[in-house]
Amino acid sequence: MKFGRRAFLQFAAGAVGGTLLSPLPWKLVDDASIWSQNWSWRPSPERGPVTRKASVCTLCDGGCGIQVRLVNKNRAISVEGNPRHPVNEGGICPLGAAGAQFLYAPYRISQPMKQSKKRGDATGFKPISWDEAVGELQKKLSNLRKAETPHTVAAITGHAHNSMQDLWQQFFTAYGSQNLFTMPSHRDSLQGAGLLALGREAPFAFDLEHASFILSFGADLVEGWGSPGRMQTLFGKWNASEAEGAAVKLVQVASRCSMTAAKADRWIPVRPGSEAALALGMAHVMVKEKLYDASFMQDHVFGFEDWTDTRGKPRQGFKSFLMAAENSLEAASQQTGLEAPRIVDLAREFAAQNHAVAVWGGSGGNLPENTYHDLVFFALNVLKGNLKPGGMLSLAATVPLGELPQIRGDETARKGLAQKSADQIGDEKPSLTGRNLYAFLSLVAQAPPYPIEILMIHEANPAYGLAGKQTFEKAVERVGWMVSFSSYMDETALLADIILPNHAALERLDDVIGLPGSPLAYYAVAAPVLPPRLNTRHTGDVLLQLARSMGGSVGEALPWKSHEEFLQERVKGLAAAEGGAVFEESPSDWGKVKVGSTPHRNYTDGAGLWKKLSAGHCWYDAPRDPLQEIRSASGKIELAFQTLDSKGWAVEKDELYLPRFALQAPSGDPKEYPLLLLPYRMSSLSYGYHPNPPFMTKTVWDFVLKGKESFVELHPGTAQSMGLKEGDRIILKTPGGEATVRVHLFPGARPEAVYMPLGLGRKGYDAYIGGKGANVNSLLDVQGDPLSGQGIAWSARAQLKRLG
Amino acid sequence: MNDEKNNGSGKRIVGGVIFVAGFIIALIFGWVVFPNLLYSQRPQPMEFSHAAHQDSTCEDCHFFRDDGTYSGIPRIEKCKECHESPMGQTEDERILVEEFIQQDREIPWRIYSWQPDNVYFSHAPHKVKGVECVVCHRDVSKEEKLPPYKENRLTGYSINTMKMDVCEKCHAEQGANNNCGVCHK
Amino acid sequence: MSEQGHKQGAVRFGMVIDLDKCTGCMACSVACQAENNISFREDESNKLRSISWMEVFYLDNDQDYANYQYTYLPRPCMHCDAPHHAPCTFVCPVNATTRDEENGIVGHIYPRCIGCRYCIVACPYHARDFNWWDPAWPEPMEAMLNPEVSPRMRGVVEKCTFCHHRLLKARAKAFLEEQDLYEVTYMPACGEACPTKAISFGNLNDAESQVAKLAKDPRAFRLLSKLNTEPKVYYLSKHEWVRKQGDKHFQNSNGNKRG
Repeated sequence: MKFGRRAFLQFAAGAVGGTLLSPLPWKLVDDASIWSQNWSWRPSPERGPVTRKASVCTLCDGGCGIQVRLVNKNRAISVEGNPRHPVNEGGICPLGAAGAQFLYAPYRISQPMKQSKKRGDATGFKPISWDEAVGELQKKLSNLRKAETPHTVAAITGHAHNSMQDLWQQFFTAYGSQNLFTMPSHRDSLQGAGLLALGREAPFAFDLEHASFILSFGADLVEGWGSPGRMQTLFGKWNASEAEGAAVKLVQVASRCSMTAAKADRWIPVRPGSEAALALGMAHVMVKEKLYDASFMQDHVFGFEDWTDTRGKPRQGFKSFLMAAENSLEAASQQTGLEAPRIVDLAREFAAQNHAVAVWGGSGGNLPENTYHDLVFFALNVLKGNLKPGGMLSLAATVPLGELPQIRGDETARKGLAQKSADQIGDEKPSLTGRNLYAFLSLVAQAPPYPIEILMIHEANPAYGLAGKQTFEKAVERVGWMVSFSSYMDETALLADIILPNHAALERLDDVIGLPGSPLAYYAVAAPVLPPRLNTRHTGDVLLQLARSMGGSVGEALPWKSHEEFLQERVKGLAAAEGGAVFEESPSDWGKVKVGSTPHRNYTDGAGLWKKLSAGHCWYDAPRDPLQEIRSASGKIELAFQTLDSKGWAVEKDELYLPRFALQAPSGDPKEYPLLLLPYRMSSLSYGYHPNPPFMTKTVWDFVLKGKESFVELHPGTAQSMGLKEGDRIILKTPGGEATVRVHLFPGARPEAVYMPLGLGRKGYDAYIGGKGANVNSLLDVQGDPLSGQGIAWSARAQLKRLG
Repeated sequence: MNDEKNNGSGKRIVGGVIFVAGFIIALIFGWVVFPNLLYSQRPQPMEFSHAAHQDSTCEDCHFFRDDGTYSGIPRIEKCKECHESPMGQTEDERILVEEFIQQDREIPWRIYSWQPDNVYFSHAPHKVKGVECVVCHRDVSKEEKLPPYKENRLTGYSINTMKMDVCEKCHAEQGANNNCGVCHK
Repeated sequence: MSEQGHKQGAVRFGMVIDLDKCTGCMACSVACQAENNISFREDESNKLRSISWMEVFYLDNDQDYANYQYTYLPRPCMHCDAPHHAPCTFVCPVNATTRDEENGIVGHIYPRCIGCRYCIVACPYHARDFNWWDPAWPEPMEAMLNPEVSPRMRGVVEKCTFCHHRLLKARAKAFLEEQDLYEVTYMPACGEACPTKAISFGNLNDAESQVAKLAKDPRAFRLLSKLNTEPKVYYLSKHEWVRKQGDKHFQNSNGNKRG
C-alpha cells in the first residue's frame, strides 16, 4: 500500500489528537514560560544560614559597635549597628553601612606588588612574594642602620587612635628615627591648646549627654564631628518629641547653612572664619555684664586678671584684654557681620543656661584649627565655669593600657634620635606638640635637611587628602624609596615603589583607644569578622617581623610574636590597671556614667577582658574631674599661656599670651581673587582614607555630582552679579590651582564665598570611584598656625571664570 | 459502485487505523518518550543512604535554626560530627572524608525540591500546621540509595520542584493567605 | 469589609519618619541598598534612571541666606492604603503588583512583571524604578548579595517592599515559638540603620504601637494626602513650611529638588 497524502493527513490528525491528550504541549508551554523568566547571567546569591558577628567599626575613629551579617559564615552581606553598643545604640552611618563594599572592592590589592617601571605607572606593578617584599624592606632598613643613618627613614600613619600608632612609635624609637608622622587632625591643635591651658597634651572632651544648650561654633555635629555614631545618637535624643522627654537646644554659628545649621534650632550666619570673633565678643559681653562664674575664675583660673611673667614683667590678663578696643562689641560685630545686639543676646542666653556648652571644630575634627581659636572657645567655656565637677568640658580620659617595653636603644638608634625630625629643622619657633606633617613635606620637597631614604605610608592617603597642590607628590620625588601598606590602589599607593597590602578593615584585628569628643575613657577591640580574602598581611605583623629579623635592641623593643599577642598584652595591662569595666548594661545607661561614678568591674584578668572585648563589648571608665587633671605651672587653668616662656618662645606682645582672634587671611590678592573658597562636608561623601563606596555615591545629589563633574555652591545673588546660572560650567581658580566645575545656586551660601564638597575628585581605584568631580584639597591654601606651626587649610581665595 | 463503496469503507477502515496509529504513537511519545527526553539525569556528588542513618533522628540533621529558618540539607560540619575519620570502607565514605570533610568543602548536593531565587518558602508554618514531610517530599526513611536527580533541560529546574499551582491550591483549600508576597521575595 | 470598602486584616504596617531627627546622613538609603540587592552603575547621577527604593528628597523654605532652611525627606514606598487599590496595583495589567490585605504591604513580583511601567506612571511618589539595564556587580561584590531578597533582571520594575522578607522571617519564628501572629513586628533595614532613630515602624492598627501614637502627633503629615491614596508612611516636622510641601506636587527644580 502506498502511504499517500491522504494517509499522511490521517496519521497527522491522529498524532495531533494524541499529542493534545499527552502532557507534551502543555508542559512545553509551561517550561518555555519558565525558561523565559530565567536570566542565567543574573547572579544568584548563595544560600545558607545567616549569622551575625559583632565587632567595632574602624573605618573612622568613632568607635561604633557593629554587627556584620554573614551567609555561611564566609560572606559578608551587610554591616549593621550593634543595638547593645552604647556609642551608636544600633544606628550606623552610611560609610559603616556600606563597609562590606571595601572588603569586596575591585581596587583591593591582592598581594605584594613592586613597581617595575616609572613611579606612578599603574601598569608597572608586578606581583612579588611576601618573603621577597618583606626581605627587601628589611634589607634596606638594615643597611641604613649599618650606615648609621636610621633617621633618614620616615613614616606617615593615618591611625592616631589605636595601638598601631604606638607600635609604629615603638618601632621608630628602637630603630632610631624621629620622623614618624600622623595625618593632620583637630587633635593636633587641641593637644597644643590643652598643653597651654592645662599643662596636659590631651584633647578636650564635652559632656554633650548632659548639656541642655549647645552652642556650636562651626562644628558640623551631624555631618560627623568627633564620634559620628555618638553625635547622631545624641542628636536623635536632643530632638525627642515632647512625649519622649525634654528637648535640647542647638545653636549653630557658621557661614554656610550646613546640615547642622539647617537642623539646629537656630542658625547664626557669620562671616567665614569669624566664629572665634563671635566667641570673643560674647566673652566681652559676659565679662562686661558680669555674667561669668566669678568665684570659679578666682579659684581656678590663672591669667584672667593681670599677671607677671617669669622675668617679672607685668602682663595684661584676659579680663582687661577683653575690654580692649580690639575686642569691643563693635569689633566683634564688624568681624562677624552680626549686629551687636544679637551678640549681646546670645551671650546672655548662653550665660543664663544651666548646662550650656560651646563646641567647635569646623572640619568635623579632622583638620587642625587655629590654636588661638581653640583657646578662645575653651575660654568661653571657662567663663561659664564648665570645668567644674559636673561641668560640660573636661579632658578626654586616658586609657591605662599596658606599657610597652622599655627601649634600650643601641648606639645607632641614639645617633638617629639625636637628629631632629625633618619638620623641626629651620623652624625659628619651637613646636608646641607633636610632629608637623606639612612642614616635613615642604622641607623634603624644597631643601631636605638630610635625604629621606625610605618613606612608609600606613592607612593614609596623603596624595589625595592633604591640602595644597601636589604637597605630597613633590616631596615623594625626593624620597629614595616609598613603601605603601595600603589595601587599596589609591592615589598614594600608586606612587609607591613597593606595596605590602594590609588586610581590609573587616578582616583585621585592631583596637580603638578613646572616643573623640567624649569625656569617658573608652577602649574597644575590633575583632576580625572574616578571614582575609586575599594574600594580604596585617601591617602590625609586618612591623613585628621586620623588628624580629633586625634583632638586637630593635627586636627586643618589639618582642611580640604577632600583632594579636601585642594587643592581648596591652589588654592584660588594662585589666591589671585600676578602674574601668566592660559595658554590658543597657545602652541607655551610658548617659548615667558621670565624674565620680565607679563602674562595677566585671572581669578578673586579661584573658577574661580580652574575651569580652573581642565579642564586641567595649571597656569604659568614668570621666575625670578636670580640675584634678590640671598640670600647669600655676596649678590652675591658664588663660595666659605662660607655658610659652618655658617652651622657649620670646613673646613680646601681651596679647600673644592670651586667647585671641587670630584669623589668618588666605594668600592671594582679593582684587584678583574676590571670593573665598571653603570646603564643606556631607555625610554621604567619604573624604578620608576610605573612598566613597558605590552605595554612598548613589545617594549623592545630582547638584553635587553630575556625570564626571562636581558642583560648587554659590549664593544666587553672587551668581547673578557674575552672570552665572544653575549648572553653568566655570573654571574655579585659586592661588594654588584650578578646577573645572559647575555652579549650583544655594541660598544657604555666604554671598562672598564659594563652597566645594570634600570627598570628590579621586583618581584611580575603579570606574565607580575614580574621576568623579574635583578635589577641593588641591585648591586650598595651607598656612602655619601661629602657635603650633601645624598646617591649617581652612580656605583659599578664589576667582570664577565662565567656560564657553 | 459496490466495489467503490467497499473500497471506500475499506479505505475508511485503513484510514482509521492510520489515524489511531498516529494517535497512539503520539500518546506514547507524549507520555513516555517526551518526559525522558525533557529531563537529563544528573549524578549526585556521592551516594547517601538515609537507611544507614537510622540511629539518628530526622531532626538531628533537618532542624529549625534559632531564627526560624530551616536547615534543609545538612552542611559539612554536621557530617563531620560523626565522620571525622572514615566510618567504613566504601568508596563513598572515602569521598566524604577525603574530598569534603578533610578539605572543609561543602558537598554540592543537587537539591530535589530546589526553588528559584524569587521564591520564599518557610517550613515553619507548614510544620506547625501539621503538614507531614511526605506530603511534599519523598519518604526517605528506608531509602538505601539516592534517587536519580532529573533536571529539566529547558528550565534547569529539578523534576521535583513544586510548581506554584500546587502551593496555591493547598493554600486555598486550607484557607491560608494566597497573596503573592506570602511566597515571593 | 472596612469602612474603606476593602477587606482589611488586623495588621497595617506603617512607618513614621521624624524629619526633625533626620540629619540626611543617607544611612537608611545605603542600608536599604545592601539589604535589598539594589544594583548600582558606574555613574548614578542621572536620577531618573537610578534605582533607589529609599530615595531622599530635598525640600527648602524658599527663603534667602540668613532665613534659609532645608531638610532631607527620605521616601520609601508609601504602601498606599486607598480603598480597593493602590494607584500602582490598580493599573498593573498582569497582577504583578498587589497589596497583601493581611498586612497592607504592596508587593511586586519581578518575574511576573512585563515592564510596561504603567505603575511608574501611576505612582505619585516616584517610588518605583525600572531596570533599564541588567544589574551587574563588579566581580567580587556579588559575594555581598543577600539571599533573602531575589536580584532583579533587566526590564522589570522594582520598589520598596517594607523589607517584607523580614516580616516573613519574623513570622516563621513566631510560628515556631507559638506567638500570636498578629503581634509579630519587625524593623525594615532603613529603620534599623537610622542613627538618630528617626524611623519608626509597626502596626498602625495597634493603638499601643509607637507608630500609631506618632501618626496622631500634631506634627504628623502625609505626602499628597489630597490625592486620597492613604499612604501608610507618615512624616513628622515641627516646621510648617515642611508640612505644607507635603501636599505639593514635585514639579519644579527650585522648591522641590529630586535627588
